[in-house]
Parts: sequence; structure tokens; C-alpha cells
Amino acid sequence: MDLVIALGLNGIVWGLIIALIALGLSIIFGLLDIINIAHGDFFMVGTVLAWAVLETTGNYWLAFFLVPIIGFGMGALIEYAVIQPIKNAAALSIVATFGLSIILQESVRATYGAAPNRIAAPIEETFLLFGIQYEYYRIFAALVAIFAICVFFAFLHKTKLGTWMRAVRFDPETATAMGIPARRIYMVTFAIGFAMAALGGVVAAPITTVDFQAGIDILPFCFMAVIIGGLGNLEGTVAAAVLLAFVEGIITSFADPTFARIGSLCLMSAVLMFRPHGIFAGATR
Amino acid sequence: MTTTTIHRVGTLLLILFTLSAPWVLPIFVDSFWVDIYSEILIWSLLAASVNLLFGYVGLLSFGQALFFGLGMYGVAVGIAKFDLSFWPAFMFGVALATGMAVIAGALAVRLTWHYFAIITVVFSLIFYFTALSWKQITGGDDGLPFSVPPIVSIGDFELVITNPFTQYFFIVLMVGACYALMSRVINSPLGRAFVTVRENDTRAALIGLNVYLIRLSAFVLAGFIAGVAGALFAFFGRYASASYMFYHVSGEAVVWAIIGGVGTLFGPILGTGLLIVLREELSSVWDHYLLLVGVAVIVTVIFAPRGVGGVFVALVQKYAKPSSSDKEGSQ
Repeated sequence: MDLVIALGLNGIVWGLIIALIALGLSIIFGLLDIINIAHGDFFMVGTVLAWAVLETTGNYWLAFFLVPIIGFGMGALIEYAVIQPIKNAAALSIVATFGLSIILQESVRATYGAAPNRIAAPIEETFLLFGIQYEYYRIFAALVAIFAICVFFAFLHKTKLGTWMRAVRFDPETATAMGIPARRIYMVTFAIGFAMAALGGVVAAPITTVDFQAGIDILPFCFMAVIIGGLGNLEGTVAAAVLLAFVEGIITSFADPTFARIGSLCLMSAVLMFRPHGIFAGATR
Repeated sequence: MTTTTIHRVGTLLLILFTLSAPWVLPIFVDSFWVDIYSEILIWSLLAASVNLLFGYVGLLSFGQALFFGLGMYGVAVGIAKFDLSFWPAFMFGVALATGMAVIAGALAVRLTWHYFAIITVVFSLIFYFTALSWKQITGGDDGLPFSVPPIVSIGDFELVITNPFTQYFFIVLMVGACYALMSRVINSPLGRAFVTVRENDTRAALIGLNVYLIRLSAFVLAGFIAGVAGALFAFFGRYASASYMFYHVSGEAVVWAIIGGVGTLFGPILGTGLLIVLREELSSVWDHYLLLVGVAVIVTVIFAPRGVGGVFVALVQKYAKPSSSDKEGSQ
């Protein structure tokens, strides 16, 4: 029973981090109409950058500020160089982002190396939770993820840029006609998507391993959250991510984790077939 | 020269090269390139199955590795666990892949665009994880090795795939048959219907075509082709492994098809050939040659979305005299 609680809690923490990453995937899909195969690798780049910041400065806290900024810049650059030229060929965008994924993984392998590393959590203390020593850092990670998600929603609903982003998503032509610089909005959106995935990487790096292939495992999970929550339904994405990770965590306590994964994937195909707007469609709009 | 002559000469050269490769390649380069060429031919079938779906009916599948993997496991499990002989195992693998294509296709082709791409990945992931965890049948990540029974054995005469010549010509024969089948289908009324659905599915439905059934038949044919590729690769490598079902394999096939040129029959061979030769030549010299592949993919998508084959077709159409019997898009 203690194990179930710990794994369930782990699931929620992990789900919140996934929610942060998946939100980036979701806004990129909703606004730019692009399936970003490289999104898992954005996360991976975040973990590697966090490791690099720790190696050079010796201070992990700096990574929480520096890495999202670097991620934002990289995102803007990638949008300008790769995404904008293929804006009119939506189907090929999957192929282009697959190429991007190869480039990111291979450049990390070339510079950082192929061997995975572990990062010691900046908070190493643990506390007793129902008979299990639980790390404070995981609670902290969850709080950072919640904070970042709240900031993102506030940005989307309370600022001019956020309102523009929603307007472009709703109707790009009218938005352009109203004088909103749609092209710049696309760039900012993609950059924010990258920055959120990179922040997710910083938060998750001490919990998981820093590895150039880390994005491959995370990508299907992010897609599950986005699809089950409803493509473009941001609140749904967050809810689905937390719910899925929690349920997978619970299932892991008594069965092979692969079964949990297969179960989620089957749920995802059912949602795609029968509720293509997600299981929360109608609840929010 | 007219365009049709160029296409005919090109096809003839390809066939001549393929038939003479076991003698020609050892003279000019090295005999191990014969093996590489058989590998190219097998993988080109996987790329061709992507091409059939994306280039002809306009559905981008990121899950063709599923059918490749099933063809592979059908052969491996058939021989290693059920003691099947050569042909029954081959047919078992292909039937498994085709059967799965019918089931998966019936669900998947209800969706289009991004949704179709996602659901094909999801289907292939489901079976990838199943294959990983079902170790007593599939061997999981370690793979399932087996020894291949003879292709035919009449009395003392035995044709075994361990003979390099037999293996090469067996692969050539099977791959050739698949390309012949695809060419036959593409130039048939069904192939015309494929292109109609790709260009405009609403109009296709309005002129009385059953869009769902047309997409499904393309999906099943693509699954069959990928299944043959997987079965051949199982004979070629004499083992099966779950890692061949992962979505990166599907992604690679998409890359080969796109770089080679979608919507042309031989584009996939071109793309697969280019990238596998690149891999063989560069991977020993430069560890990070994949960077080049990634850049090539993006450059192709931005500047030549119809691929190398598409550029070639465009050049031919620009400089060659058009022939009266020249049909648009067929090569």
C-alpha cells in the first residue's frame, strides 16, 4: 500500500512535468498545424543544457532561468530556418521535424556523448511519507511545473501577445487583416513551445537520466496527453497528462509497466477513432 | 528521345544492373556490396509501401514498421516455434502482415492527415511494446534467431539461402515481383482511383468512387509489401527483433521515400539506395554522419519536396520530347 501511494505520487509529479512539455506540443499543433516529432528532443536538449549549466557554473538553480531562455532562442531560430519554409506543406512538416529530431539527437551525441549521466538533485533531503523516504525535490519539481503552467495560462489570457496567439489560432486570416503580425506570432509560439519543453527538461533532469535518446521515450507520452486531452485543448492536455501518469504509476505498482503503456496507447487509439476532439470535448467549450 | 523511351531505358538499365550485380560489383568495388545491394532492395520495399500510401493516395503512414515487423516475426516464429518449412513460414509472415493491415486499415483509413499519421504510429507502438514484453514468443529486445530451412529440396538437390547466389536471386525475384505488382496496380483503374482520391477526395466521392474502400485497398497492399520486406529481411538476417517495429524504422522508411521521390515507382529504390550507400561509406569515417541525413531530409523537404526522383522526372519532361503515349505521373 505504501508503494502504491509513492508510485501514485510519482505519477502525479511526472504527469505535471509531462503536462508542461505537452502544452508546448499542443500550442505548436494548434497554432502552426504541425506535428512536431522533434518535441521529445526539445525536452532532451533541455536536460542536456541543464547538465551543461551545472558543469560550468556548479549551480543548478541557474539552469531554471538560463535554459528556457536558450530554448526560446533555439526555438525561434528553428522556426525561422525550418518551419517557415514548409508552412504550406503540412504533411511534409512531420518529415521535416523528423529530420530535425535526427539532427538534435546526433549533435547532442557528438558533443555531450552517448553515455547517460545522472544529476544529483539540488535538494537532497528526504522526508518520511507513509513509511517511505520521499525526496523533497520531487515535490519541488511538481511545484515548478504547476507554477510554469499557471504562468503560461496567465500569459495566454492576460497579455496582449497571448491574446494575439489565441486570435491567430482562431482565425489566422482575420487576425492578419486586423494587423496582428501572424508570422511573428508563429515564431514566438514555436519558441515558447521549445522553451517549455526545455524547462520540463531542467525540472526532470535530476529525476531521470540525461541521455541523448531521452526524447524518444517522452514523445509518445506527450502525444498521448495531447490526443486524449483533445488536440489544441490546453486544459484538457494538462488534465490528461496528470491522469495518465497517475494511472500508469498505480498500474506499475502491481503489473509490468509495459502493460500500462500498452493500455494507454489503446485508450489513445479509441479516443482518436471515436472522440477525435478528446475525452473532455464539450466540457470546456 | 521521348520521355517514354527514357523511362524504358532507365527501367531496363536498373533491371540489367540488378541481374548482373553479383558478377559486376565484386569486380569494381567489393563483393560485400552485393549484400548491401540486397539489403537496399529489401528496405526499398518498405519505402515503397510508404510511397504507395503517401505518393498515390495521400496518406502519410508513420507505422509501416508494424507490418515489416509482423512479416519478420511470422517467418522467425513460424520456423523457430512451429517448425514450418521455408514457403509456409514465408506465407505465414506475409499473411500475418496483410491480415493486420486489413484490421488496422479498417480503423485507420477513417482518419486522414495528421490523425492518420498519429494513429499509424500508435498502432505500431502498441505492437512494439507487446513484442518487447512477450519474451517467450518474440525474444523481446534480444531478438529471435533461427536457422533457415532449404527453399526447395528434391531428393539430393537442395536450394539453400545460405548460398550467396541463391540468397541474392531469391531476394531479387521476390522484390521484382512486388514492384511488378505495384506497377500493375498503379497503372490499373484502381491506381487511377488512388490518384483521384489523393488529389481531391470530395470530388472522388462525388463521381461515385468509394473513397474508404480505395484507401483501405491501398493500405492493405502497402501492408502486404511491407510484410514481404520484413519476411525477406528475416531470411536475410536469420533473426527477428522487436527493435525493427519501433517508429524510428517507420520514420526512416518515410525519409527514404521522400528523398527518393514520392509518387514515382522507382523513387523508393533511389532514396533507399542513396541513403544506405551514404551510411556504408560514411559511418566508418565519420561517426556522426546522421547529421548529414537530417540536413538532407530538411533540405529535400524545403527545396525539392518531390525528391530526387521528382527532380529527375521534371528534368526529363523539360528536355525530352513529349511522346504521344506519355501519361502524366506514370513512369
